[in-house]
Amino acid sequence: MASGSGPSPNVYFPPGGDSDPRLPPGSDSRWPKILGGGDSSARNVWIAVGSTVIFFGLIAVIVVRSPGWPEIKDSFFNGAEFRSSFPVILEKFVRNIFIFCVAEVLVLILALIIAVLRSLPGPVFTPLRIMAAAYTDLFRGVPTILVILLLGFGMPALDLQGIPDNDYVWAIMALTLVYSAYVAEVYRAGIQSVHPSQVAAARSLGLSRWQSMRHVVLPQAVRRVIPPLLNDFIGLQKDSALVYVLGVVEALNKATIIQQGDFNFTPLVALSLIFIAITIPQARFVDWLIARDQRKRQSSAAV
Amino acid sequence: MRKALLVLAVLAVVATACAPKTSTPTSAAAGDCTPSTMNLHTPGQLTIATGNPAYKPWYGGTSVAGSDWKSGKYTGDPHTGEGYESAFAYALAQQLGFTNDQVTWEGIPFGKSFAPGPKDFDFAMQQISITPQRAKAVDFSDGYYDVNQALIADNGSPAIGVTTLAGLKDLKLGAPVGTTSLEVIQQEIQPNVEPGVYPDLDTALKDLHNGQLDGVVVDFPDAFYGYADQIVGQFPPLSGGQEQFGLAFEKGNPLVSCVNQAIATLKSNGTLKQLENQWLQTDASVPVFS
Repeated sequence: MASGSGPSPNVYFPPGGDSDPRLPPGSDSRWPKILGGGDSSARNVWIAVGSTVIFFGLIAVIVVRSPGWPEIKDSFFNGAEFRSSFPVILEKFVRNIFIFCVAEVLVLILALIIAVLRSLPGPVFTPLRIMAAAYTDLFRGVPTILVILLLGFGMPALDLQGIPDNDYVWAIMALTLVYSAYVAEVYRAGIQSVHPSQVAAARSLGLSRWQSMRHVVLPQAVRRVIPPLLNDFIGLQKDSALVYVLGVVEALNKATIIQQGDFNFTPLVALSLIFIAITIPQARFVDWLIARDQRKRQSSAAV
Repeated sequence: MRKALLVLAVLAVVATACAPKTSTPTSAAAGDCTPSTMNLHTPGQLTIATGNPAYKPWYGGTSVAGSDWKSGKYTGDPHTGEGYESAFAYALAQQLGFTNDQVTWEGIPFGKSFAPGPKDFDFAMQQISITPQRAKAVDFSDGYYDVNQALIADNGSPAIGVTTLAGLKDLKLGAPVGTTSLEVIQQEIQPNVEPGVYPDLDTALKDLHNGQLDGVVVDFPDAFYGYADQIVGQFPPLSGGQEQFGLAFEKGNPLVSCVNQAIATLKSNGTLKQLENQWLQTDASVPVFS
């Protein structure tokens, strides 16, 4: 089967010996599943439950009995503080959702353009390839928070007609620039994973370079990199909190306002829970996608 | 099997860095206020924490060689003894019986001043307003400065010329996080436009000068340091009562009582008043918002 034999994208795969490196731990019998750890006989299940209870139980006991626990409990897990801060933080979280959703759409478009530019064959396109490579090098190299600070405080200071001075614009722009660099690499890995013989076949059928890219390579490439794209999307969601440095009152800023007003860290824990609540289902969804992809691959290989 | 369980148990213990630190605070008898017997973070040294950068007029002077602080247009170095809080710190240290070179400064992010657990310093001095809510997390000294708030703005801002709190409602204002300035915006002005909240004063001022804010609320003495073109006005005292700055200690630290005695002396002998006059400019003629 041709589609499985291209060079492996090197962005996200765990090291995996001679089995398909795209397998997540769990869909290959050589990797133990998180729960159960192999065959699921009754005895093994009981051992799994027992060792889990003992392991986490011990940790819990040690933490709770530590001398600092009452203080920690009061300032990080304060019930009253949690109840009063959670709804306000959740309300501001809508802004994070807005920021990362708009940024994600822009990222998917910009990154695809960069990846295609970087994959253009032929000596004529060298300047474009250099530009695309320089872009990814630059924005993968600079910490996200620095890009946000530099754009957010630098661009409006230019005081140019037509340059927006809205903090959201620059927050979204900065996240888009940084994440496009990563996502472009993911796309490029996908594009490279499509075997060159497919392009040759498409060209021999009379398709132009662009047509074979558009109709043969990209559809396969994009489908193949959906799991890592989702991983980057999760990263983007978390980094939406960084825009607080521009004075945007999003969830992290709101949590910090309460934290520093009340001298209590519980609002930060509350915000962490919100992030976990939205990212864990997505992470499981990615696992499921990879597993499904694997099943398809195996069944079609068996034909 | 048994071996595996043992390994797990050991892992669990290691994961929590098992042994509780034996940090029993040396509880000096109350009232015993000499440097050699005080409950200090580093024996023989008074370790004071403040922010870095440290802003004028609270910290001033030219950076001392080897200091982590950098003096600039808006910032100073705590080691210089210049600026109200720096001068107060050295006066307080002397009153407690320390020499100037027994005072150590520790630069901290604001959150560290109230993080639970043992602290890397004796107390934090960072224009921290005393509130009952905050007093649940730290022990405050008695207040050492009564602070009011003022609004500053650049020429051309719609804030210029406003004289009432109601007139400020539709302006885009800003303040640093965790400050009384922010509280004034939220509770006294209750604006219709959401205020900008910044990690520090520097970034708030940057947005002010970029034209993204109509005005920034600052501690009144800050208003005289050229942070913006004009002082629009000062705010009446918070409805909750006069706001005071206090030093923040770890809960239960017996050092508080010694420091309070020293502050009381500095108040009664006029030192605090004199430091205020020397370092903090205030101007009663600045209009009060009505």
